[in-house]
Amino acid sequence: MFQIVQILGLPFLACIIMSSILGYLGIHVLKREVIFIDIALAQIAVIGSIAAHLLFEAPGDSPIAYTCSFGCVLLASAFYALVRSRIFQISLEAVIGISYAIAAAAALFLVGIAPGGHIHIQHILSGSLLWTGWKQIVTSLIVFSVIGCSFYLIRKPMAEISNNYQKNTIKDLKAVSWDFIFYVLLGVVITLSVQVGGIVVVFAYLIIPATISEIFARRLSMQLAIIWTAAITASLGGLLFAYKFDFSIGPSIALFLGCELILVSLVARFMQFNPKP
Amino acid sequence: MTSEIVQFFSVQIALLAVVLILHTYIGLHIIRRTLIFSDLVLDQLAAFGALAGIGLGIEYGTVQSYLPSMIAVLFGALLLALIKPRSRAIPREAVIGIMYAMALVASLLLGDKLRGGEAYVTKTLAGSMLWVTWPLVSITAVVYILLLVFHFVFRRKFIELAENPEGFRKEKFWDFLLFTTQGIITVLIVPIAGVLLAYAFLMIPAAIAAMFTKKWAGAVIIGWTVGFVACLIGLCSSYFFNLPYGPSLVLSLGLFFVVSIIVRCFQAGNKLYG
Repeated sequence: MFQIVQILGLPFLACIIMSSILGYLGIHVLKREVIFIDIALAQIAVIGSIAAHLLFEAPGDSPIAYTCSFGCVLLASAFYALVRSRIFQISLEAVIGISYAIAAAAALFLVGIAPGGHIHIQHILSGSLLWTGWKQIVTSLIVFSVIGCSFYLIRKPMAEISNNYQKNTIKDLKAVSWDFIFYVLLGVVITLSVQVGGIVVVFAYLIIPATISEIFARRLSMQLAIIWTAAITASLGGLLFAYKFDFSIGPSIALFLGCELILVSLVARFMQFNPKP
Repeated sequence: MTSEIVQFFSVQIALLAVVLILHTYIGLHIIRRTLIFSDLVLDQLAAFGALAGIGLGIEYGTVQSYLPSMIAVLFGALLLALIKPRSRAIPREAVIGIMYAMALVASLLLGDKLRGGEAYVTKTLAGSMLWVTWPLVSITAVVYILLLVFHFVFRRKFIELAENPEGFRKEKFWDFLLFTTQGIITVLIVPIAGVLLAYAFLMIPAAIAAMFTKKWAGAVIIGWTVGFVACLIGLCSSYFFNLPYGPSLVLSLGLFFVVSIIVRCFQAGNKLYG
C-alpha cells in the first residue's frame, strides 16, 4: 500500500491540479464548439519545444523550451482570434482542425530529421505522468492558480462570449481581444499540462468531464462538482489500472474517463434524464 | 536511374490524382457539416486495426493487414452514424472527438504491449511511400472509381443530407454509408500515407474549395486542382531534398490553405467591416 502511494502519489496530485482547471475550461470549449482547440494548441506548443531542442539543444522542461512553446501558442491564439470573424463558409473548428494537421506534420518533419524521433512522438502522445516531480507540481500549481484567478475575474465577459459563440455577430476589436485572451490562457494551461501528462490525457480531461456535466446539469457550480468528481475518480482508476497491468498512465486515465462517459450516458438515457436550465 | 525516377514519379502522381478526387468530395461533406474529427476517428481506427494485426502476427503494410483495419473502420462508421447526443448543449463534434481519443488510447495501450510499439505508432502516423507500387495503385484506383460511381449515382441524397440533415429521412443509414466510404478510403490510404497525410488529403483541399464556392462540382474541381499542385510541390521537395514524405506533403497543402485564408480575408474584408 505504502509503495503504491509512494509511486502514484505525485502523479495523482498532478492529475488533480491539471483536471481542476482543464475541467472548467472544457465547459467553455464545448460551448464554443472548438473541440479541436486542445489538440491543436498542444501540437503547436510541441513545435516550439522541438524547435528549442534543435536550435539551442534545450531540454523539454527548460525555460527556453517553455518560452519557445509559449511564443508558438501566442501566434496561434492571435491567428484563431483574428480569423474567426473573417472565414467564410467553413467553421472555426475546421480551421483549428487543419492547423492541427499542419502543426503535427511540422513536428513530424522536425523529428524526422532528428534521431530517435518515434520515441519523442510516443512521449508527446502518452506523456510521462509517472515521472512527475515536485518542481512540475509546484510550477503547475502556481501557474494554474494565477490563470484560475484570472478566469474568475473575467468570468462574466467570458461566459457571455462562450454562451453566444456560434451566433455571436460582434466582430469588433473587443471581441477579438477577449478571444485572444481566452486562447492564450488556454494555451498556457495546455502547454504546461501536456509537458506533464501528454496530449491524450489533457484532451480527455478537457472534453470528457465537461460533456458528462452537460448531461446532468446546467448550473456552473453543479457542473464543476460533477466535472471534478468524474476527473478524480477516473484519475484514481486509471493510475491503479496502469500500475497493476503495466500500461502508460495517460492513456489509461483517458480510457477510464471514456468508460465513465459511456456509463453515465447509458444511465441518463435509461432514466430519460433532462437537466433543468 | 532516370527511368527509376520517371517510374517513381509516375506511380506517385497517378495515385495522388486518383485519391484527391474522392477525398475532396467526401471532405466537402465533412467540412460543411462540421464533422472534422470523424476522419481522425477512422484514420486512428485503421491504424489500430493495423496494430492489432501486428499483434496477431500479420506484417504491417501487407494485403492481409487491411482486414483488421477494415473491421475496425466499419465498426467506427457504425458508431459515428448511430451515436448522436440528444442534448443540444453537447455538440456532435465533441462526441466524435471523444471517439477519436478512445481510438488513440486503444492504439497507445496496444502499442505498450507490442515489441517496438512506439515505432509502429509513429509509422502509422507518418506512412511510407516505399509501399506505393503499380499493383497497389491499380487496386486503389479500382476501389476509388467504384466509390466515385456510387457517390455520383446517389449524389442528390448525400448533398441533401449535408444541406438539410434535420429533415432528412433515414439519416443514420445514409450517414453510415458516408462514413463507410470514408472508412474504406482510409483503410486504403493510411498504410501508404499515414494518419496525418490521409487526414490532410481529406480536409485541406475541401476546406480551400469551400471557402471560395458553394457549388459542389465547382468545389471538387477547385479542391482537386489546388490539392494536386500542392502535393506535387510537396512530393518534389521530399524527393529532391530528402525530406520526410508525409509531413512535406501536409506542409505544402497547409501553405496553400494559409494563402487561401489570406486571399479570402482580403477579398471580403470590406463586406465584413464596412
